[in-house]
Amino acid sequence: MEIIFSTLINGLSLGGIYAMIALGYTMVYGIAKMLNFAHGDVIMIGGYLIYVFMATNNPLLAIILSVIGCMILGITIEKVAYKPLRGASPLAVLITAIGVSYLLQSLAQIIFGSATKMVTVYEFGAIKLFGTTIQVSALVTLGVTVAVMTLLTLFVKCTRLGRAMIAVSEDRAAAQLMGINVNAIITITFAIGSALAALAGLFYLLKAPAVSNTMGAMPGIKAFTAAVIGGIGSIPGAMLGGILLGVVESISYKITAIAPYTDAIEFSILIIILLVRPTGFLGKKRREKV
Amino acid sequence: MRLGKFKINHYINYMVIGALLLVLGGMTLAGNRFDNSLLFLLEKMAIGIILAVSLSLVVGFLGELSLGHAGFMCVGAYLGGKVASLLVPTMGNGLAAFAISLVVGAAAAAVCGIIIGIPALRLRGDYLAIVTLAFGEIVKTLFQNTSDESFGGTLGLDTPRYDKKYLFIIAFVLVLVTLAIVQNFIRSKHGRAVTAIRDNEIAAKATGINVTKYKLIAFITSAALAGVAGVLYSYSNYTVQSAKFDYNYSIEILVMVVLGGMGSINGAIVAAALITWLNTWLPTVLTGPMAVLQNLLYALILIVIVVYGNAPALKGFRDKYNLNALVNRFRKADPSHIHDDEAKWNVIPTKISMDEILSVDMTPQDKQEYGGDK
Amino acid sequence: MKTTRIIAIALCLTMCLGLLAGCGGKNDYTANNTEFVIGVSGPLTGGAAIYGTAVANAAQIAVDEINAAGGLNGVKFKFIAMDDKHDATLVSGNYSAMLEQGMQVSLGTVTTAPGMEFKNLAKDDNVFFLTPSATGDKIPEFDNGYQMCFADGNQGKVAAEFVNANFAGQTIGAFYKSDEDYSKGIFTQFMSSLDKSVTVVETSFTEAGATDFSTQIDTLKNCKFIFMPIYYQPATLFLTQAKDIFGADVVYYGCDGFDGIDSQEGFDINTIPQKVTMLSHFNSKATEGAAKEFIDKYVAKHGSDTLNQFGASAYDCVYAIYGAMKKAIDEGEKIDVTISASDLCDILKAQFSGGYTLTNGATGAEIKWESNGYVNKAAIQYIIKEANG
Repeated sequence: MEIIFSTLINGLSLGGIYAMIALGYTMVYGIAKMLNFAHGDVIMIGGYLIYVFMATNNPLLAIILSVIGCMILGITIEKVAYKPLRGASPLAVLITAIGVSYLLQSLAQIIFGSATKMVTVYEFGAIKLFGTTIQVSALVTLGVTVAVMTLLTLFVKCTRLGRAMIAVSEDRAAAQLMGINVNAIITITFAIGSALAALAGLFYLLKAPAVSNTMGAMPGIKAFTAAVIGGIGSIPGAMLGGILLGVVESISYKITAIAPYTDAIEFSILIIILLVRPTGFLGKKRREKV
Repeated sequence: MRLGKFKINHYINYMVIGALLLVLGGMTLAGNRFDNSLLFLLEKMAIGIILAVSLSLVVGFLGELSLGHAGFMCVGAYLGGKVASLLVPTMGNGLAAFAISLVVGAAAAAVCGIIIGIPALRLRGDYLAIVTLAFGEIVKTLFQNTSDESFGGTLGLDTPRYDKKYLFIIAFVLVLVTLAIVQNFIRSKHGRAVTAIRDNEIAAKATGINVTKYKLIAFITSAALAGVAGVLYSYSNYTVQSAKFDYNYSIEILVMVVLGGMGSINGAIVAAALITWLNTWLPTVLTGPMAVLQNLLYALILIVIVVYGNAPALKGFRDKYNLNALVNRFRKADPSHIHDDEAKWNVIPTKISMDEILSVDMTPQDKQEYGGDK
Repeated sequence: MKTTRIIAIALCLTMCLGLLAGCGGKNDYTANNTEFVIGVSGPLTGGAAIYGTAVANAAQIAVDEINAAGGLNGVKFKFIAMDDKHDATLVSGNYSAMLEQGMQVSLGTVTTAPGMEFKNLAKDDNVFFLTPSATGDKIPEFDNGYQMCFADGNQGKVAAEFVNANFAGQTIGAFYKSDEDYSKGIFTQFMSSLDKSVTVVETSFTEAGATDFSTQIDTLKNCKFIFMPIYYQPATLFLTQAKDIFGADVVYYGCDGFDGIDSQEGFDINTIPQKVTMLSHFNSKATEGAAKEFIDKYVAKHGSDTLNQFGASAYDCVYAIYGAMKKAIDEGEKIDVTISASDLCDILKAQFSGGYTLTNGATGAEIKWESNGYVNKAAIQYIIKEANG
């Protein structure tokens, strides 16, 4: 029972991080119709920004500056690399995104060196809960994730800007005809996605106080998987997919015999789910037009 | 240019590669010994070209995005390499052992192509991309966890290496075979069916094309050829390590196809050769502390080329300053010149871009205000 | 269109001819050498860059020192480091490029996986290599390959003997990285050398999940002794995540990969309440001897960020090669600056298998080699940090 509880908490907090990253993927996909492969590396930049700004010794300030820095980075990437390609083949945009990803990684290595940087943001310690010891940071991660997602859902559902985003993702041309500034919406989407990535970077630092230039690559891929499991383009889907993937990963690492196969198991789940539901759990079916 | 029914641009790639092969192969057989670095480069180029051309079949002509090409190559490399390491002690490291490994590797990759293709091809666009990516990662993980005796686990499989002097000849013969398979396929009735599916699946279905069958044929052919590249890889290296075949490698192959111009076989060949050369050349000039600049340079080149080649805003510029335009400037203008109907594969929009054209007007309008009643 | 094609064909043909012009088919690349050339292929970029960087920096320091002291009978050394990104595929290109730049002797590869390719290439051409840090058991398979570091299998065996002697009949924990040859190699050998009476709770992680260890910590939370054959970066993360969950009486036991754990900027090992020990040939917190001298030199030039056993080992490798060449000359061998890699290999093989000893190295006071290429030096159990309280 204790094992189930602790595994579940660990899985949920990891899943929360995945969900946070997956949200960035899914929103950008929904609105700009592109796979932003550089999204994982924004997490890494967020981590490095916290590392840099922790020189102020003020965790809150460092976090805020890191989130702002990532938003600026996200907007810059969008303006410089993706905007000129709007209207070009999606594959060209995909390749550019990959180029941006390599660019960010190598820039980080040039600036910060190849060694992993250690940075402790804040120590929460551990508590005893239901007979098992649990990292408080896991609970914090879980709590903040739930809060952020609730806010985001409310934002999208209830504000004018949020509804404009839905409109753009539904039908860009029609939204434009209705007087929505599509360019501004895309910029805002990138900013929100990057802010979430910065938060994900923060949660990684709370779990494991280390920043390296490749830290964003695999979480990026996993979160992308999560976004697709949930149905890419769907915000609740990204949350569902992220949480599911986190719990599965946690359980799989728990069982010694299958632990080495964890990645294979996660990706197999993706394939199986897509076979049963070809657009993920909550993805919308696109109607085919001739 | 037409010589009767003989279209020279259909055969130009055979001619160039054949000429290269004849010259270099002839010199080798005549007893010349090339530098190893050149031989290694040629082997890697051949592998890169086979991979790019075979992926081009799926991405460029079928219009489906595959991010798991390295996975098929991995299967081919491991199984072909395993067979080779079993055969070579008894048969000797000759062409016979190579041929058997080649068949096994290609067949194994083709089987994987069927297994992943039947379910995956029900999916569309980006969903197919993530499934193929997942497939590549699964294959990698499975081989990583094999025992030392079977496939070598994390340390990789020890494979025999073919005689360095001659392997590039075999490799380029296989490039020619690949080209023959892929080009004949896409210029056949079946190939036209495949491009029809790319351009409009529903219309293709309506004309009675068996969409599933043609999709599978293209997918399996591509997988089998990736398996061939894998066997070649295992023969050009002493070890096959699964860590190599991650999604980054699949993406590298995709980059070759996209840089070469989607749906252009010749473009894929040139891009594959160029990128392979860049990958071997950059570490030799940027050594020691300068090595960190490699990835930066690679990334910048990638972004600049793609943005330059694809940005809608630069179209006018591109049309004005390209090789054809430069050449035409030196030629007498011939207003009566009518272009023949040679297949311009590179100008047909892919299915993905077709969707965009059909559904959305992408022209951004900068001066628009957001919201009506702000 | 026609002209374009003709131009294209012409260009291709010139390219072919250009390729041909560039290859003379000579094998005496060392004929024009004015310095002895040592080469290494290692990860200078990517996830494993820290190891390659350490090796490249430290070997360069050693080469500079030797040159400043007059080289080998007046002939200086030159060191080339090429990037293989921890990818075996890039090794063949790097290796041949270095040979063509006149490489006469090599430090092999920094990591094991590319080393599996390198050892075969070097065997074909009979090139001597002494690797600072490719710990794989099979790296010195052929007679031209030697290791400065302990082989994985030996480390696993020594660790198992320690556990057998101290924890017979008890339960211990083991934590390894399942997709890394170093970690898995030590772990496999450890498990097979272990007494039947010792029960092992094992848990693993992979590259993809390398930062969040909460599940693994949960699995190991009842163990009092935890064997961790992993590198120090994941180990640091494990330790920080586990410090509040495990009791202060837990002992961590690492191998040489643990070195560097206490010299990272931003991480204070004393915040970990548990006892941390390692079995290694180098201690980057050494306070005396050759190790201390090396640390001072390295930190003065490159800072403590990339200071680890890889660098110390590479530093020793350069000196070992230099020493062996010097000894061979003293014994009457003729070593010119233009000596071919193969000839030098035969001389060095004879030295290294014939009892050549490097004294006062950064990674050992007396370093010798077995004829099978494994290093023979003292493995020391360092206590990095005692338990608190």
